[in-house]
Amino acid sequence: MAVYIQSAAQITIQSPLCDDWFTSPIRREGRYFRSVEPDFKAFIDPMASRRMGRLLKRAIASAMTALEGYEVPLDAIVTGTGLGCIETTEKFLNAMLRDGEQALPPSFFMQSTHNTIGSVIAQRLKCHGYNNTFTHRGTSFDCALQDVLVQFELGDISSALVCANDEMTEAYFQLFDQIGYWKREDVTEDMFRHPATTGSFAGEVSAAFLLGGEPTERTLCRLEGMELLYEPTDERFLRCVEELLRKAGIEKTEVDAVVCGYNADPSNDEVYARRMDLYFPQTTQIYYKHLFGEGFSASAMGYYVAATCLKRGEIPAHIRYREGKSIRPKHILVYNHFQNRDHSVALLSC
Amino acid sequence: MDSIVVTGMGIICGLGCGTRAVFDALRAGKPAIGKVHHLRTSHEELPVSEVAMSNEEMIGMLRLPSDMVVTRTPLLGMVAFRQAVEQSGLTDAVRTAFVNGTTVGGMEKSEQYYLDFFEGKHTEYIAAHDCGAGTEQIGRLFGHLDAMYTISTACSSATNALITGANLIRSGKADAAIVGGTESLSKFHLNGFNSLMILDHEPCKPFDKNRNGLNLGEGAAYLVIETAERARKRGATPLCELSGYANACDAFHQTATSPDGEGPFLAMTGALNRAGLKPADIDYINAHGTGTGNNDLCESVAIKRVFGDRVPPFSSTKSFTGHTTSAAGAVEAVISILSLTNGFIPANLNFSSAIEESGLTPVTKGLSDVDLRHVMSNSFGFGGNDSSCIFSKIS
Repeated sequence: MAVYIQSAAQITIQSPLCDDWFTSPIRREGRYFRSVEPDFKAFIDPMASRRMGRLLKRAIASAMTALEGYEVPLDAIVTGTGLGCIETTEKFLNAMLRDGEQALPPSFFMQSTHNTIGSVIAQRLKCHGYNNTFTHRGTSFDCALQDVLVQFELGDISSALVCANDEMTEAYFQLFDQIGYWKREDVTEDMFRHPATTGSFAGEVSAAFLLGGEPTERTLCRLEGMELLYEPTDERFLRCVEELLRKAGIEKTEVDAVVCGYNADPSNDEVYARRMDLYFPQTTQIYYKHLFGEGFSASAMGYYVAATCLKRGEIPAHIRYREGKSIRPKHILVYNHFQNRDHSVALLSC
Repeated sequence: MDSIVVTGMGIICGLGCGTRAVFDALRAGKPAIGKVHHLRTSHEELPVSEVAMSNEEMIGMLRLPSDMVVTRTPLLGMVAFRQAVEQSGLTDAVRTAFVNGTTVGGMEKSEQYYLDFFEGKHTEYIAAHDCGAGTEQIGRLFGHLDAMYTISTACSSATNALITGANLIRSGKADAAIVGGTESLSKFHLNGFNSLMILDHEPCKPFDKNRNGLNLGEGAAYLVIETAERARKRGATPLCELSGYANACDAFHQTATSPDGEGPFLAMTGALNRAGLKPADIDYINAHGTGTGNNDLCESVAIKRVFGDRVPPFSSTKSFTGHTTSAAGAVEAVISILSLTNGFIPANLNFSSAIEESGLTPVTKGLSDVDLRHVMSNSFGFGGNDSSCIFSKIS
């Protein structure tokens, strides 16, 4: 069964709920950026809004935007989030550490579980279908997407909302700074070309994708298949890519581009660079974390970028990491790994 | 489609370590709910079900390096994971996925060291905080895994791990899967549940008219699942079949359950449909039965909607183990399978009178020598993440 990405919406450190990043991206130089937020009033009534953490608001606004104009009943809502609503978790934790274990505010605890996001979206949509939340570090969204794809293939569902949601609070930025996740200096685009020092720069991602079984005029692309692998050898990786291509009935030379999660940290980037040199030496490479930053949900933007390029039939210069043949892209691989342990490869086509 | 069978299981919870210890405690009617011992909390008045072993004892038992940076949640997980893999005889010659449910993750250490982190102390525990960190530590005990997944849907996490693993096998993405969940007690969620005022200050009374809340517990449990053919090929002995499962959403409220029990109803009927069974085929329900006013009423309403006047024997073993939250689905899956294979229905302790609206009475004394063919296990989580699964005797 074919699976299509019908629509996608994002709230990130680029202009929200639109694709301005494609034509006129905000160029970021620094260590840490918070998402540019839309006016939430269009999505959430102010009373309810006051009780919600900001990640929840972003999740609702991105989900509602992705669903705009679609009347289909949803069979599934699946979320990927590395940390859940961490801002609310911190509020409860801080209250407990500061005030002791008495008279703590239940609302912060209620929003602290990772599945809050998926369940609040389900409540808004009155969706009784399959609902799941993956919390697997930098492949949380990839797991969520595969979970949905598997159920399409099994014929269990025919529509799904798949979301990625992570925020980076100042406190969490500092914690990750303690363990070297971020560069000491401001990150520039040039560092993505020539990574010299460890660490990346922090961004935030809320993204929502509507998946369906029938193409429409608005359909962005087809999700041909994907695989998740733990510490794959080169051989296992190659076998997996070849299998994806075989199932889709295309040759390796027909892959027009590979989206890679280059983040300006040499230990992260060399994994992509090496495998691309080995298996796709002539192919265009796309990077995107220079636009959206790094974080547990960052990989969702790799799919977003690939889907947008396929729909628009163009790969803009500012996301080309390495030039290959320049044609209207038809098939794009999305390759993501987290610390060279969890890897995912997906094939998108139009 | 070839059926999916269970070929191994492991468990650690307040009742003990290993299926034998847990089953003996259930049969003897001896709950493990008592005073807090390991967890550092001022809430000594709240009964809990802790695992007796300390972190150091588990590190010793697992022969891990004594300076390993590891928190209690993955430690519990490793103990149960190892048992499950050993019983199944599974090796990394089989393409295996690991699907782990947890919500607390490394919070047990984060809440201890949080303020220190900002001063550059104990920073090795920062990367141990998120849910996926522990999954990886557990999974690495098994030669080479093909892929790892972490699921967090609060109290139904482990059941959703089971469902995800089963779907991976059905779709051919994995040949076998190790599925389940792990959760240690933390001050964070003990206080969280306390702030919601749903913790009983006495041992919990699931399905009782005067129930007063839940007792938190900790533990871990895993199942090894694979197709019957795969098990046969490698000479593994199936313990039972995973015949049905379903995930649904109540879509009602973040912490409360709907009055008509729509989510639980859809989960139970979905599991029956997938198994191709009628309600009358279910011989025992291991209920979610937390002991809160809300859950037990909602679950009772849903059970009556599914089973009508012929409600099968049911009990909540949370009266023995406490509510092990993200691990509960797997802890109770193991208990359900022990029930099935031993023909024993464990008791629902501390019950004296039925909820007026439902009139349902659980099994209050352990029943031996019962012919059980199909057992249903329910797990319902915050946010209305409701899942059910059915284990069946190998026919």
